[in-house]
Amino acid sequence: MQHDEVIWQVIRHNHCSFMAKITTGNFCRNPYNITGVCNRSSCPLANSRYATIRDHDGVFYLYMKTIERAHKPNELWERVKLPRNYEKALEIIDKHLMYWPKFLVHKAKQRLTKMTQMSIRMRKLALKTREKIMTTPRKEIKRESRREKKAETAAELDKSIEKELLERLNGGLYGDIHNILPKHFNKILDENELQAVSEDEEYEEEPEIEYVQGYDDLEEEDDIEDFGGFAIDESLKNNDDAHEDEEGMDSVDGKRVKRRSESAHQKMEEDERRKSKKKAKVLVEVEHEDASERQRATF
Amino acid sequence: MAAAARPLVSVQPLPASLNDMVTDHVTTVALPDVMKASIRPDIVNFVHSNISKNSRQPYAVSKKAGHQTSAESWGTGRAVSRIPRVSGGGTHRAGQGAFGNMCRGGRMFAPTKTWRRWHRKVNVNQKRYAVVSAIAASSIPSLVMARGHRVESVPEMPLVISDSAESIEKTSTAIKVLKEIGAYPDAEKAKDSQAIRPGKGKMRNRRYISRKGPLIVYGTEGAKLVKAFRNIPGVDVANVERLNLLKLAPGGHLGRFVIWTKSAIEKLDSIYGSFEKCSEKKQGYVLPRSKMVNADLARIINSDEVQSVVKPIKKEIKRASLKKNPLKNLNVMLKLNPYAKTARRMALLAEAERVKSKKEKLDKKRKPVSKEELAAAKAAGKAWYKTMISDSDYTEFENFTKWLGVSQ
Repeated sequence: MQHDEVIWQVIRHNHCSFMAKITTGNFCRNPYNITGVCNRSSCPLANSRYATIRDHDGVFYLYMKTIERAHKPNELWERVKLPRNYEKALEIIDKHLMYWPKFLVHKAKQRLTKMTQMSIRMRKLALKTREKIMTTPRKEIKRESRREKKAETAAELDKSIEKELLERLNGGLYGDIHNILPKHFNKILDENELQAVSEDEEYEEEPEIEYVQGYDDLEEEDDIEDFGGFAIDESLKNNDDAHEDEEGMDSVDGKRVKRRSESAHQKMEEDERRKSKKKAKVLVEVEHEDASERQRATF
Repeated sequence: MAAAARPLVSVQPLPASLNDMVTDHVTTVALPDVMKASIRPDIVNFVHSNISKNSRQPYAVSKKAGHQTSAESWGTGRAVSRIPRVSGGGTHRAGQGAFGNMCRGGRMFAPTKTWRRWHRKVNVNQKRYAVVSAIAASSIPSLVMARGHRVESVPEMPLVISDSAESIEKTSTAIKVLKEIGAYPDAEKAKDSQAIRPGKGKMRNRRYISRKGPLIVYGTEGAKLVKAFRNIPGVDVANVERLNLLKLAPGGHLGRFVIWTKSAIEKLDSIYGSFEKCSEKKQGYVLPRSKMVNADLARIINSDEVQSVVKPIKKEIKRASLKKNPLKNLNVMLKLNPYAKTARRMALLAEAERVKSKKEKLDKKRKPVSKEELAAAKAAGKAWYKTMISDSDYTEFENFTKWLGVSQ
């Protein structure tokens, strides 16, 4: 029958599914255990008369079981709601456990005290802001940084900045000031200077004083047509060159177009000057050779 | 336990919607004596461990294993160990060690044999004792809960349901019945615990493990409920006349959750008998008597009957003291003989007196005699002599002569 001693012997020495053995001692997982330790006097299974305090949604209840109901597990535990007031709750415990063993009364009051202290502390902590520990998912962070880098290189920020600024310059935002961005300004100048130098190589000369004979020779059997033709050819040549320059300019970006067009202007002017010089050159063939010699000298 | 009136167990009615039993009002059954038998976990453990060996299948290695070579030892003188080596040539195997348990491809140490003693015989009485103990333990809710069953919502232990349950045919109604009587949480626990076994048992036809749920015990032979309940995971079914210890105490642990039908519990009395009456089914078998009928020692000691005749507690404990010799120790002597004090005092004083007088005498003798003393001593000597030589100084001479009759 229901003999506590027999039950305890079987439970403790054979097998109890609620007992948890750890290095510091034996503990009881039974939710009705008053102390949590696996003990002859604390075992809710091995004591037919037992009491506990349990907490349900912040309200404390006193649970009691007696031997009269031991064979009815459904109705085993009798529940009494304890008031919020700590002193009143102690009185209620005293009233219900009046003639019970001192151990249970003492432990019940101890447990109630501990639980009220815990609930007070929990409420206080809930008011304080506590720093929340977030996990850093390493995989995602690494992945995002990699993608960021790739996107940066793909965006080609330098080029788009250049484009934007050129547009602004063309739009007249900066007035007549062309060298807002010295780096780019110099770059463009360098490119254009190269072309100018190449043209110089073709037409080399500095304006020099040329001593020319009178055009009495013209009365000699030289056709004006020839000279004129020659001169026309020269001018045509120049025009072709000029055209080439213009085509070259169109193929390049807008910014450079502007610069080129301007420099082209300058070139045109220079060409005209040279045309006139060339005419002078053509008439006197010897000077060409001198010019080439001069070129070499400059080299 | 010779109880005058045996406690009654109420039979749980099943809902009328399931069956046509309209008259399913609460009836009661007397608790059978088996449930009050002594609980002996030691016997149950012993019997269980032996009985569980009886369903084993033999295993052994092949008896030829490791010996299917013609290997000879090369003997000494060849700078190799003397283990038998495989003869022949032209293959890796030639010259390798053979036969020994330490050799690769050799037979194992003590090859297992099929004629190992696989089964164990257990005394019939012990087997019956174990079953009886297990049945008794199943009626105690604490033990059932300690074993791990979820019986918090069960209305009564031992749990008895009406006989209309024996005619349940569908498993769905079976589950409904379990829910009605509060046994479903246990079956649910068993179902939730189904898992794949860790370890090699997986590939040895023991793939799945799960917890044990309730055991349904029925009374009538051929009841349909067997088929209804057997497919529910964790639930076992058994006939009262053939109760198996391996089902009543799985793992050797007492306290399986048992659900009885009314006819089953009524049959228990006739199967196992009582403490005095023999069983009808088991010839000459009487339920085992326990060493202590009332095993609650603390309660017995604190009962009125015992306390009223018990001597009061000795609060002061007298311990044996060390014996002291009265002849040497004065206080101990005085405890025995109080006069000894005065006697000793007198003795001491007398001794002191004696010593003093002796000393005086000696001192006097050793002191040189003065002239007066010398003269007095001489005179006294002379006077004495005179008395000695005169015989008329005797005063009562006349009386004496009369007496003597001598005349002078």
